[in-house]
Amino acid sequence: MKISYAWLKEFVNLNLPPEELAGCLNQIGLMVESATAAGEDTVFEIETYANRPDTLGHLGVARELATLLDLSLKTRNWPLKELPQATSGMVDINILDPQLCPRYCGLVVKGVKVGPSPDWLKKRLEAVGLRPINNVVDVSNYVCFSLGQPIHTFDLAKLKGSKIKIRKARKGETIRTLEGQTVELEPEMLVIADETTPVAIAGVIGGEESGITESTTDVFIESANFNPVSIRLTAKKLGLSTDASYRFERGADPNAAPTAAVMAASLLCEFGGRVSRGLLDVYPAPRKPRSITLRLRRINELLGLEIEPEFVVKTLTGLGLKLKEQGPQVWTAEIPSYRVDLEREADLVEEVARFYGYDRIPSAITPVKSFELPADRVRDRVWRLKEVLFHHGFDEVINFSFTDPEKEQSWQTGCRPIRLQNPISAKLSALRTSLLPGLVENAVWNFNREAEGVHIFEVGNIYYWEQEETHRENLNLGILTTGLRSGRTWKEAEKETDFYVLKGAVEDICYYLGYDQLSFEPVEHPFFEPGQALRIQVKNEPVGLLGLLNGNLARSYDLERPAYCAEIDLNELLRKQPRAFSFQPVPRYPGTSRDLSFLVEDSLSYQQIQQQLQKLNIPYLENFLIYDRFQGKSLPPGKVSFSVRFYFRHSARTLQTEEVDRAMQEITSQLKSTLKIQLR
Amino acid sequence: MSSLLEKIDHYRRLFADQVTRVKEAREVEELRQAFLGRKKGHLTLLFEEFKTLGPEEKKGAGRQLNELKSEIQNRLAELEQKLQARPRVKQLEDLTLPGRQLYWGAPHPITLFQREIERIFISMGFSVEEGPEIETDYYNFEALNFPPHHPARDSWDTLYINDKLLLRTHTSPVQIRVMEKKKPPIRIIIPGKVFRRETPDPTHLPMFYQVEGLVVDRGITFAHLKGTLEYFIKALFGEKIKLRFRPSFFPFTEPSAEVDIECIVCGGQDAACRVCGGSGWKEILGAGMVDPQVFKNVNIDPEVYSGWAFGLGIDRTAMFAFQIPEIRHFYENDLRFLRQFNRR
Repeated sequence: MKISYAWLKEFVNLNLPPEELAGCLNQIGLMVESATAAGEDTVFEIETYANRPDTLGHLGVARELATLLDLSLKTRNWPLKELPQATSGMVDINILDPQLCPRYCGLVVKGVKVGPSPDWLKKRLEAVGLRPINNVVDVSNYVCFSLGQPIHTFDLAKLKGSKIKIRKARKGETIRTLEGQTVELEPEMLVIADETTPVAIAGVIGGEESGITESTTDVFIESANFNPVSIRLTAKKLGLSTDASYRFERGADPNAAPTAAVMAASLLCEFGGRVSRGLLDVYPAPRKPRSITLRLRRINELLGLEIEPEFVVKTLTGLGLKLKEQGPQVWTAEIPSYRVDLEREADLVEEVARFYGYDRIPSAITPVKSFELPADRVRDRVWRLKEVLFHHGFDEVINFSFTDPEKEQSWQTGCRPIRLQNPISAKLSALRTSLLPGLVENAVWNFNREAEGVHIFEVGNIYYWEQEETHRENLNLGILTTGLRSGRTWKEAEKETDFYVLKGAVEDICYYLGYDQLSFEPVEHPFFEPGQALRIQVKNEPVGLLGLLNGNLARSYDLERPAYCAEIDLNELLRKQPRAFSFQPVPRYPGTSRDLSFLVEDSLSYQQIQQQLQKLNIPYLENFLIYDRFQGKSLPPGKVSFSVRFYFRHSARTLQTEEVDRAMQEITSQLKSTLKIQLR
Repeated sequence: MSSLLEKIDHYRRLFADQVTRVKEAREVEELRQAFLGRKKGHLTLLFEEFKTLGPEEKKGAGRQLNELKSEIQNRLAELEQKLQARPRVKQLEDLTLPGRQLYWGAPHPITLFQREIERIFISMGFSVEEGPEIETDYYNFEALNFPPHHPARDSWDTLYINDKLLLRTHTSPVQIRVMEKKKPPIRIIIPGKVFRRETPDPTHLPMFYQVEGLVVDRGITFAHLKGTLEYFIKALFGEKIKLRFRPSFFPFTEPSAEVDIECIVCGGQDAACRVCGGSGWKEILGAGMVDPQVFKNVNIDPEVYSGWAFGLGIDRTAMFAFQIPEIRHFYENDLRFLRQFNRR
């Protein structure tokens, strides 16, 4: 909202330099975003708030400044040159819906000579960014930006009949607005109508036909009060936001309506106008002023200071409140009609604080009476998991939760996407049901920008309809690795990433988070190439998938290199109880190890071999490690070679060579029968 | 057969010759064995021979033999010490070659900044709460004292899923959820993703991060709000940062405040500053005393309890702190951007 310094001076005698005035406005919350010198005037762009329609006119801002600076507002008189005829003889105002139009005032001004405005008026309007049009339109804008009360002027000659009806629109009615646009009215919209048709959309915009033109001589001035919600709904529906609707939807002052009508009429007298006798003022149910009890104790309790009662009285009185002492340091405050925001005691506390100055309120540390233990460790586990991934060289990304549902469809995530009712664009019109499409886009983005490898992960929600009416947001982890590994040095050649880089990261996450019973099962899934994916299981329950990204999907994103990705359901994984940590004594006696290399059928998987090894029941066998897998021409066809190192230890003594030899014989014979191994 | 004296002389010269070729500790030991070995050492054999000589021949030879023995012993001991002090190891070729560096993945700057903020509040006894991103109108607006169809909602332009559900426009609904299930004292912060119907531009995006704080207890005042936020901002931006509180409006706080900090880019010196627009101040967070209506909505008696709350945009604050010109960088996930934060 633009506020002109010169215009403010019409209401209060200010003589501060503009910079100091800006400081004053900031203190009371009318934040000055910019101050621009315009000749002798200075124009402040100030931030206004949705609950302060009174600051949408210069009078309201002047009142705030007068209160802060201990000045009084000027009284302005609006003399009228009157006609002999009474207003009531010329127009007949009928409010058919007093809920939507609580008050309607009208005056007729005859014989106005429509033409350019005088310089002083043009200057005022130009200062606040309005384009002068003609003296009648300019007067209504001047009144609106003075008092914050929008008024409308009709060409009286264009109104059919003498009846002015404030009613809801009828189905099928249309109006061509002052902006030259024909709009279809809907039955819940309030209009101003003459005997036959709507002539204005109440509180939003006037009709073109009844508008002021060069040939207008007689003007009907409307100064009314409309229901904020009704105006807002109409303006929203029509996609129209005008200076009038902006003020009415915030709640205009019903008591400003008569003042504004008279002010406008008085100004039109300057252009040859003569005003009808007697303001028409239809106000079926005058609003009673609100009263609020205010306790000094409460002010001090909320602000944390000791304030003088005199300051409270002076400030609130300055703002137009009427204070009556109810008891010791307790007042009843009657709220002026222009302050729609003051409803409770807390609102008055804010008024006192604003004018006292937030910067003068002391600072104190918020006292602590108790500490609380976190309800669960999920947040800690998420961070631990990220640390494992950082350690593995994965960078963290954050993608939009939005997705293009058409594009995501090809992923066949199996989740019904949640679409937005009013999306920003088609590309952002649904919520993602998987993290992987975003990661693939990130890979392509970076390959297009000099990256040779992309190793990234994201922790974030996916969203879907679980059932017809039940939505679900689920915390997931997505990981992707493609291209060259990081960390090339003069000692090592560059290395392409592979499936095991990804799998190692997944295994380490489970290891370092204490999820012991990790297993993998082959799975077919549309994300991945056939036969190239595994289901991740913890305690035999599925928690995610990993594998080689489906080539068709990759190509549809122009991703040329093979990419390995995983998606893990963190709600599922992190709600599981990790292995409780317990300290194990450090071995006191030395262990020993033996290696065994053998051939097996190449149809046997590592996991099958591992399972058999885990089943071995051998005394002193502490652990084993499969350290080599080899398949090649030097081996018999259909065979694969594995090398395993077995670790032995006795907790209470050093093992004898013979004991270890016997154990190895036992292992060999068990494996011969279970895995049909051939020793190498 | 030459005399013993000639032999002594021969081995003296032999030792003198061989000892010069010794390069390693192992060779010292070999030499010791060759000359002083218990069975076949050259000197050992000479001592055996010496025993067989008559008294006349022993004269002189005995002294020379003992002299040679101690001379060899001393020389070998000396050599041994010298070689042990500087054991031979493989030499490096070019020490100026770079070392083997390990690549660590980079945390996303939002994660990083959010953790910094969390750390400061956790150190003041706050705990961290989270809530759903898909919300109802009740939690996102109504319970927070936004009347239906009020223009106050305009600043929280909303993405709707249907008539009942929306994407939360702020983290404030979590305040309501926490107060519904927990009695005061409450001392929490709420970080999270929020959504607005904003067309992307350098400073606006339809998704960003916020952190919200809430304290509810008996006797909580605006002074507590000021003191705590002043500490927080100083912890984040440094002891010397200047800040100011000014009145503002939020439906869910009364009185409401906005906090500006001095522009760390131009310090108020540049009238055309891209960051503060020349005002010297940068708006950083909104705050206030919890509105009594909000308390009533969660059945907390505003006559007994009071509280303060604040909300801050993590992205915007991080942009300001790191002088990142465009908010878009956060979600493009360009590795050249992300990896810089590894060093933060």
